[in-house]
Amino acid sequence: MRDKRYSLKEAVQMIQDGSMITFSGFTIWRRPMAAIYEMLRQEKRNLHLIEVNSGTHTEMLMGAGAVSIWESCWNGHELYGKVPYCMDRKIKSGEIIVEDYSHQHILYRMQAGAAGVPYLPTWASRGTDILNPEYDMLGKAGLRDGKNPRIPFQKFGYAPDPFYNEGEIILVPAARPDVCIIHAQQVGEEGTVRVMGQTFSDEQAAKAADKVIVIAEEIVPESYLREDPDRNLLPSYIVDAIVEAPWGAHPTGMYGCYDVDGAFISDFATASKTESGTQDWLDEWVYGVGSHEEYLDKLNVSRLMNLRTNSFYKYSTRAKRGSN
Amino acid sequence: MEKVLVQNKMYAAPGEYTAADLLAVAAAREVNNDEVVFAGTGLPVLAVMLAAQTTAPDCKVIYEAGTIGSRSTSLPSSVGDPRCVEGCSIASGLLDVFDQLQRGRVDLAFLGGAEIDQYGNVNTTVVGDYLNPDMRFPGSGGNNDINSLAKRTVFIMVQEKRRFKEEVDYLTSPGWRVRQWPSGEWMHRREAYGKKFLGGPSAVISNMAVYRFDEETGRMYVDTLHPGITEEILQENTGFTLDFSRCRGETLPPTHAELDILYEVVDPEGIFLPKK
Repeated sequence: MRDKRYSLKEAVQMIQDGSMITFSGFTIWRRPMAAIYEMLRQEKRNLHLIEVNSGTHTEMLMGAGAVSIWESCWNGHELYGKVPYCMDRKIKSGEIIVEDYSHQHILYRMQAGAAGVPYLPTWASRGTDILNPEYDMLGKAGLRDGKNPRIPFQKFGYAPDPFYNEGEIILVPAARPDVCIIHAQQVGEEGTVRVMGQTFSDEQAAKAADKVIVIAEEIVPESYLREDPDRNLLPSYIVDAIVEAPWGAHPTGMYGCYDVDGAFISDFATASKTESGTQDWLDEWVYGVGSHEEYLDKLNVSRLMNLRTNSFYKYSTRAKRGSN
Repeated sequence: MEKVLVQNKMYAAPGEYTAADLLAVAAAREVNNDEVVFAGTGLPVLAVMLAAQTTAPDCKVIYEAGTIGSRSTSLPSSVGDPRCVEGCSIASGLLDVFDQLQRGRVDLAFLGGAEIDQYGNVNTTVVGDYLNPDMRFPGSGGNNDINSLAKRTVFIMVQEKRRFKEEVDYLTSPGWRVRQWPSGEWMHRREAYGKKFLGGPSAVISNMAVYRFDEETGRMYVDTLHPGITEEILQENTGFTLDFSRCRGETLPPTHAELDILYEVVDPEGIFLPKK
């Protein structure tokens, strides 16, 4: 059996510039942050992101100039920053092509990719500008010419329902990412993935991608995961690389491991209001840090322990969240 | 959480509650008992947790990221929060809950937005021309899908002239009179959705008033004005001519019991409700 264990650096080296990438998680939860930071240190460029929704990780990639195409439906920091300032700047400077869909659209794009069909139908979004052909930005950029096999010929299609005569339905194209990077609580030595708590859209994202890199809080024996197979999400053979990186989703939160580090995300969101603020933040927390281990040292033990979740509640009972 | 019966109907006086308190309380009162309610992050979570403690103890809540029937003892700061999983009956993912939405299972959903027009069309995507924006916002998220496919939606909005507009800069989420693509023709929502018509926006709650919709014309009208707000003040803060012909008077303020539940049970940490 091929050994799938890699260092974080080696795993991230498998990602080519210009690749189409997707990630695990939801907004500011269970994002593969250690891999994101390493992608920035390795100066990945021209990435084509396709995400069910985006978050702090996306803003960091955009702020660093790593992204050239974004297909998704939402970007921001939730409670910790309403405006995606990096995306705002890059749209205005023309450095990013943004293709807006809705949640259901991108979910079905991933599901179509996972199921091996070219498209799926949906009723969502009739009567809205998401369907406005003037706002097909990849089309406007001349990128729907078939030269890039991961960009479909059309943003949407329409077809009459041939079975129940319910009218014209919207078709969304399959998403076919090169790479999906997952952060999970546990991965087996052979690559079986266990996600605890909400699984968000990880299953569809991983199964749609050609290559899957899994960063986990811990690598465990496959025999342990096989004791409760109903709790596992992904089979080993779709996973190409496994990396052990505890606290690897920080500052995003993770069920049963650590809560979201709201103050940290808030600091980045505030810094991201300006180009120079973003660069200073990245210099301090990404480029000025050589590795994931150095990042954890810089965060310090008491900060991390404050975020550590209670084993009953699965969230931290110590982290300060509100104003009281 | 203990179910608390609200028997004390004593209303709070102006100054004893904030605009956010009234928003949350008015939103919670929109929930009928036994309904399936879909909620995204923010005030919607506050409203459904308050509803479950007061007017609608049997409502079934679906959180957008994939949890059903949560019995959280600590307020989720987001629908992705592990707090949503506490006491829930199903923890799955987005595909599950968005499929249920499209299947027509959702009675009511709460949403927000940056801009709204008189037909309940909402923009959460961009300020200015989409192709040459003044400011980019987060985007649709589930707003579009939820407003497309829930039987009723309730919008929680900040009342400002630049937000209540004659026409929204980008139509993210469909109201009662929409633009059908690829033709670009404006039409009534019923016509646009055809056999998949399930309903649409039923109320807009701002920090100044509660609005409802005439489903035939698709137009918004003023249902109640919040205490202290006059027709003149409301019109000054609105970018289109308001219809006051069906105004029923004043919005009922929060009761002391509702405020106690909001601050002591639902959000004691001050996540969405900073201390007064």
